[in-house]
Amino acid sequence: MTSQPCWVSEQGVLAFVEGDLEPEAELAVARHLAECEECRDQAAEFRALEDAIASGVAAVALRWHAFGTPFGRMYVAAGEGGLVRVSWAPPGDDAWVRELEDRFPDRPVVHEPEDPVLLAAERQLHEYFAGEREDFELPIDLDALPRFSRRVLDALQHEVGFGQVVAYSELARRIGRPRAARAVGNAVGRNPVAIVVPCHRVVRSDGSLGGYGGGVEFKERLLTIEGREDLLRAS
Amino acid sequence: MEGFGPELRAHVRRMLGSADDADDVLQRVWITAHRSPPEASEPGRVRSWLYRVATNAALDRLAADRRRRAALEGRPRVVAPDGPASPDRILDGLGPEGRRRVREHVARLPTKQRRAVWMRQVQELAYAEIAGRLGCSEASARANVYQGMKKLRAELFDVWKQEVTS
Repeated sequence: MTSQPCWVSEQGVLAFVEGDLEPEAELAVARHLAECEECRDQAAEFRALEDAIASGVAAVALRWHAFGTPFGRMYVAAGEGGLVRVSWAPPGDDAWVRELEDRFPDRPVVHEPEDPVLLAAERQLHEYFAGEREDFELPIDLDALPRFSRRVLDALQHEVGFGQVVAYSELARRIGRPRAARAVGNAVGRNPVAIVVPCHRVVRSDGSLGGYGGGVEFKERLLTIEGREDLLRAS
Repeated sequence: MEGFGPELRAHVRRMLGSADDADDVLQRVWITAHRSPPEASEPGRVRSWLYRVATNAALDRLAADRRRRAALEGRPRVVAPDGPASPDRILDGLGPEGRRRVREHVARLPTKQRRAVWMRQVQELAYAEIAGRLGCSEASARANVYQGMKKLRAELFDVWKQEVTS
């Protein structure tokens, strides 16, 4: 402990903690920290704050990954709470990242192909396309959506299984809003987690397929995977 | 690298005031050194790198001890509900309010700073690597991390302090 002003400034302590010093200065500051309690306390505080910021940034970040499928290049993104996006619409990685950043302006968007949730999503989607999987076991985070949309997509995910279809009006009835078929249609149309939340299983009450965000030919192919060619002929 | 062992041990011991704690911390330093060795190989750089890693590990130990003492004195500690399971991290973890605030302030950073802070603080990438991924110069990568961290630090210091010590 010293009562004289230190030769190491607060900026110097910070630069040391961040690993930003040249070897000679780095060594000198390290030695100083062993001598000066005040600077040591300051450095410990910087370290802890840095960790808190890092864990906070990690908690809010969105990780994404892309991979090839029979449907073209597919994109998935997840945060701490689970999958927030499954898409094959964007015409390239840059467009995809921009879309994510627009959709989630408060979250850092980073390419993280090793993320366990994203790898699980890739594996399970491959299995689904190969006809080897009927249900997805993936955490999904729809918290960014309005409450009504969340209810619609929740019901769709949990109540309409592989190979089943449901009419927009029926889905509206199931969530207790029988007159809201149009709003249900909008919520389904804006489903951010394609396939995993099965918006392709929602059809018109007259038996025709209705639209699909990724293009109606995708809807036909997905329903074919699920053994529902009968619906294609009907429309 | 192990040649620096004795002086490193003396250094950490001076910082912590305890030989047992010093050995404990040094063990972690060697694990780090073997898992992700320094990029440079000149002895001078290796030495200063080892001093940094050891000093930071000792600082973490000091901070954790202090928080543990505070917790024993009956002050509630902050536990991240679902963060990684390392004990130090749990003590450092921010509560729900802290996370909300981090999110809010991260949102205000320009995109480039946000990504740069992520790559440096979470992925712990070298500046050259960050520059490559951001498509900018190394100096600009450095500046982006610096500016972003400066803002986050300024905004979050009080929140963090309150949550960890209140």
